[in-house]
Amino acid sequence: MDINNKVLDNPIDALMTITLTVNGEKIDIQTASTEKLVNILREQLNFVGTKISCGIGRCGACSVLIDNELVNACFVMAYQVNGKSITTIEGLGGVTVDEVQEAFLTEGGFQCGYCTSGMIMAVKYLLALNPNPSESDIKEALAGNLCRCTGYGGIIRSVQSLAAKKIGI
Amino acid sequence: MKSNIQEKEDRVRPDGLSKVTGALKYLTDLTFPNMLYAKILRSAYPHAKILSINTAEAEKLPGVASVITYKDVPGMNRFGIIIPDQPVLCEERVRTVGDAVAAVAATSYEIAEMALKLIQVEYEELPIIDTPEKGLEPNAIKLHPAGNICHRSSYINGDIEEAFKACEVIVEETYELPRQLHGYMETEGGVVVPQEDGGITVYAATQHGFKDRFQLSRILGIPEGMIRIFSSPMGGSFGGKDELNIQPYAALLALKTNCPVKIHNTRAESLRASLKRHPMKITAKTGTDRLGKILAHQVKIIADKGAYATLGPAVLDFAVEHAAGPYIIPNIETGGVSVFTNNGVTGEFRGFGGNQITFALEGQLDRLAAVLNMDPIELRQINLRNATDLGPLGHRIAPTDSAALVLKEIQRLYQKSNTPSKDSNWKRYGSGIAIAMHGGGLGFGRLDSAGGRIFLNKEGKIEISFGFEECGQGLLSVIENIAIEEIGCSAEDIQIVIGDTSVVPVSGSSTASRGTSIVWQSMQKMKEPFKNKLIQHASISLSIPAENLYLGPTGIWELGKEEGPCMTYKTCAEGLLDSTVLTSFHFPVTPDAVNGGHFLYSFGGVKVDVEVDILSGMVKVMSIDHVISAGPVVSPKGFRGQIEGGGVMSLGYTLMEEVKMMNSQYATQNFDTYLMPNIVDIPFDTNVYAIEELYEGDIYGPRGVGEIGTIAITPAIIKAIHDAIGCWVTKLPISSEDILEKAEARGMLSWI
Repeated sequence: MDINNKVLDNPIDALMTITLTVNGEKIDIQTASTEKLVNILREQLNFVGTKISCGIGRCGACSVLIDNELVNACFVMAYQVNGKSITTIEGLGGVTVDEVQEAFLTEGGFQCGYCTSGMIMAVKYLLALNPNPSESDIKEALAGNLCRCTGYGGIIRSVQSLAAKKIGI
Repeated sequence: MKSNIQEKEDRVRPDGLSKVTGALKYLTDLTFPNMLYAKILRSAYPHAKILSINTAEAEKLPGVASVITYKDVPGMNRFGIIIPDQPVLCEERVRTVGDAVAAVAATSYEIAEMALKLIQVEYEELPIIDTPEKGLEPNAIKLHPAGNICHRSSYINGDIEEAFKACEVIVEETYELPRQLHGYMETEGGVVVPQEDGGITVYAATQHGFKDRFQLSRILGIPEGMIRIFSSPMGGSFGGKDELNIQPYAALLALKTNCPVKIHNTRAESLRASLKRHPMKITAKTGTDRLGKILAHQVKIIADKGAYATLGPAVLDFAVEHAAGPYIIPNIETGGVSVFTNNGVTGEFRGFGGNQITFALEGQLDRLAAVLNMDPIELRQINLRNATDLGPLGHRIAPTDSAALVLKEIQRLYQKSNTPSKDSNWKRYGSGIAIAMHGGGLGFGRLDSAGGRIFLNKEGKIEISFGFEECGQGLLSVIENIAIEEIGCSAEDIQIVIGDTSVVPVSGSSTASRGTSIVWQSMQKMKEPFKNKLIQHASISLSIPAENLYLGPTGIWELGKEEGPCMTYKTCAEGLLDSTVLTSFHFPVTPDAVNGGHFLYSFGGVKVDVEVDILSGMVKVMSIDHVISAGPVVSPKGFRGQIEGGGVMSLGYTLMEEVKMMNSQYATQNFDTYLMPNIVDIPFDTNVYAIEELYEGDIYGPRGVGEIGTIAITPAIIKAIHDAIGCWVTKLPISSEDILEKAEARGMLSWI
C-alpha cells in the first residue's frame, strides 16, 4: 500500500495504490482510500454481478467473500482490502456452474435476480462452514440478505437440497 | 414446504443461468463511452412556492456538463400515465418532497451531487396537507386547479338503509392501512443515449416500454419514432416502475449534452421519489339476517393520493369494485374518494387496491361470524357467489366456480389445523383463514391492447415476441413453456424477444396479472396459422401430404418417421420467405358498460397459524397455506415463487412495513428503518396448492398470478390473532404496542 503524505493529508480524495486479488487474479488499482469496495468492483473492475441496493449494509445485495469471510462490500473501504483476496459471484464455478448456482437454478431460488449474487455468496459461506444446516442455522446465516421476490421459499429449498446431497439423503 | 403442483416438465428459466452467475447486465449495470452521471434535485419542502432557481454556481463547477430546470423542457413539462399532472421539473410550485426542481449531469456522481448543493432555490413555504381528511376540509389550500379530490368512485345496488333495518346483526369497523414500499431490490435507473438523428435510446426499466415512449415523446417534443426503449430486464418492480421515474431527466440531459447520461437512484433517492401503496382508511358497516345471510354492506374508502394522480383513480375504482369480493350482497353502497395531499405520490402496487379492500371485507366477515357465533367458513359459504352469478359490480364475468373450490380446500386445511395446545404463560396460538377474488387486466373502459408475434427467423429459430418486460416474475418461462406446449418444438428451437420497442409488437403493459393470460391467448390465435405456413412449405418442398406433417423438436416431422425431422427449422427458414403471424386483440372484457369492471378473475385463499407473544406483543406467522385457483399452472417454479413471494410481501405489509411520513417529509429513508421480511420472519412451513381446473366451457386459459397471492394473507393473519388472543386488529402494520394494550385490556397480563 502506497500511503504517502498526500494520502494522509487528504484521505478522502487522494489516490493510493492498493493490491488485491479478485477471483484469483492479482490486481493493482489506484483509488481513494475511502472508496467502497463495491464501487471498486463495479466501477473500476467491471465486476457488476455484485449489486448495490441499500448501500448501508442492510440488504446483502453486495455480499462478497474477503479471505473467505462474508462481508457487505458497501461497508468495506479500499484501504481495508489491500492485500486481501476477494471472491465475487463471477468467481464461482468454472467450466460448469457452482453447486450452489445449480441448486438455485433447479429449485427456483431467484426471480428478478438482483439479490441473487449476494444471496449465493451467503449460501456459499454458510455451506462451507456447515454442510448440513438446520432451519435456525439457515435463518441465522441468511438473515442479512433481503429478497423481495421469492419470499425465500425457493432459496430455502435450494439450501436444503444441497444439504441433503451432502449428507447423502 | 409442500405443493401439489404436478411435476410437469419444469425447465430452468431462460434467464436463469445469467442470473445465478451474475452475468446478466441489468440496465443500471450498463456504461457507454463518454457517459455522464446525473443527479436530480428534489424539493426541500413538501409544499412551497418557488421564487427563484439559480444554477450559475453549479454550472461553474468543474466537471459539470449541464444543469437543467423547467426552462429546459422543450415539450410538455408534465408526466403521468393517464393524467399528466406531475411536473417533470417544477416551475413555480412544489407539492411534495419527491418533486424535481433541477438536474445535473457531470463527469461523476460525486461532482453531480456537489453541484446540486450549489443550486440555490428560493422557496416560500405553503401550508401542508398531510392527511386526506385535511385535504377535504372546505377551506383547505388547493393543491391542483380542480381542488384536492383526485377521484371519486362508487357503486350502489339495492336499498342499503332499508336493508340495515332488516338486519339481525350489524358490525361496523374502520380499517387503516399503511404506505407500503415496493422494495424492489434494484432502484430506478438506467442510461439514455443520444442518437445521431436527434432521437434517443433509453435503457431503463419500466413495465410498459411503449407507454414510456409515448410519455417521453410528449416531454421531449420529438416523435415517438425517434425514441427507442429498452425496458427489460429489471431487478423487481411490483408496480413501482410502471410510471416514469428517472427517464425524463436522463433524456433531457442526454439531448442537451449529446452524451449518454446515466442515473441510478440511491435507495434514499428512490424512497423519496418513488410511488408507494395508497394508505387507505376504510369504514365498513355490514349486516346479516339471523342465519348469516349478508343483507347490507356499506363501505367508505378514503385514500391518500399524495401529490399527483398517476394510476390512483384506477386503484380506487379497483378497490370499490372488489368491496364485495366473492360474496353476493343484495344491498351495497360503496363510496371512495382519493385525495391529494403533500405526501409522497402513491400509485400502482401489486394488488392494486385489492389488498386494502379485502382486509376490510374479510375482517367484516370474521367479525360477523364471531357475533353470530358461527363458523367463519360456513358464513362465507352462505354468502359465496355461484359459478354463473354476476360480478361484484352487477356485471357479467366469465363463469367460474373457483370461489367455492378455494373455500372448500381452505376448509379442509382449516380443519386439519393443529394449533399447539401447549400455551406457555405468554405465548398464544391461533389459526385464521381468508379468501379473495382478484380481477385481471385493466377493466372495462380502459384501452387494454394485447397481442404478440411469431415467425421463423433467418437462423431457423422460432422467434416469439411480446411487448412485455421481465421484471423477475418469470414471463420468459411463461412464453417458453406455452410455446413448447402449443407448437410442439423444444426450448432450443425458440428465441424470445421482449423489452425493446423497436422490435416488439404491442402487447400492453406488464401489469394487472395480464401477461400470462395474453401470452396464452395470443398463442391460441397464432399457433395454427404459423404451423400451417411451415407445414405447407415443407409439404410442397418435400412432396409429403400436409396432413402427415407436424412441428416437433428441431423441425418438421412426418407421421410415423421417428428417426428425425424431415425438414429442420433451419432449412425451412432458408426457403420460407414469410412465416410471420401477428395477433392483436383486446384483453377479454365484460360486455357490460361498467367502468373498470373486470371479466377474468383469479381466486385465492390462505390459512395461517400464528404465535402471539403477549409479553412482547410480537406476532409470528408459524405457517402459511395458499390455495390458488387461476387456471392451469404454466411454469410450476414460477407459479410457486409468485405465490410464496407475494404472500411474504403481504406478511410484511401486515406485520412490519410502513413508510412513515411526518409533516409530509419522509421519516423512513432506507432499509434500516423500513423493515421488509427477511428469512427469519417467514415460516419455513409454507405450502402452495393450485386448483388448475377451469370452469366448464372456459376458453380463457391460465390467468396471471402476480397479484392473487398477496391479497388474502392479511385478513387471515388478523383472524389468527383474534383466534389466539380474542382481539381484533384494525390498523396495519400490527404494532407490538397495540397487541400489548389489547392483551392488557382483556386482563391477559394479570399473572405478571
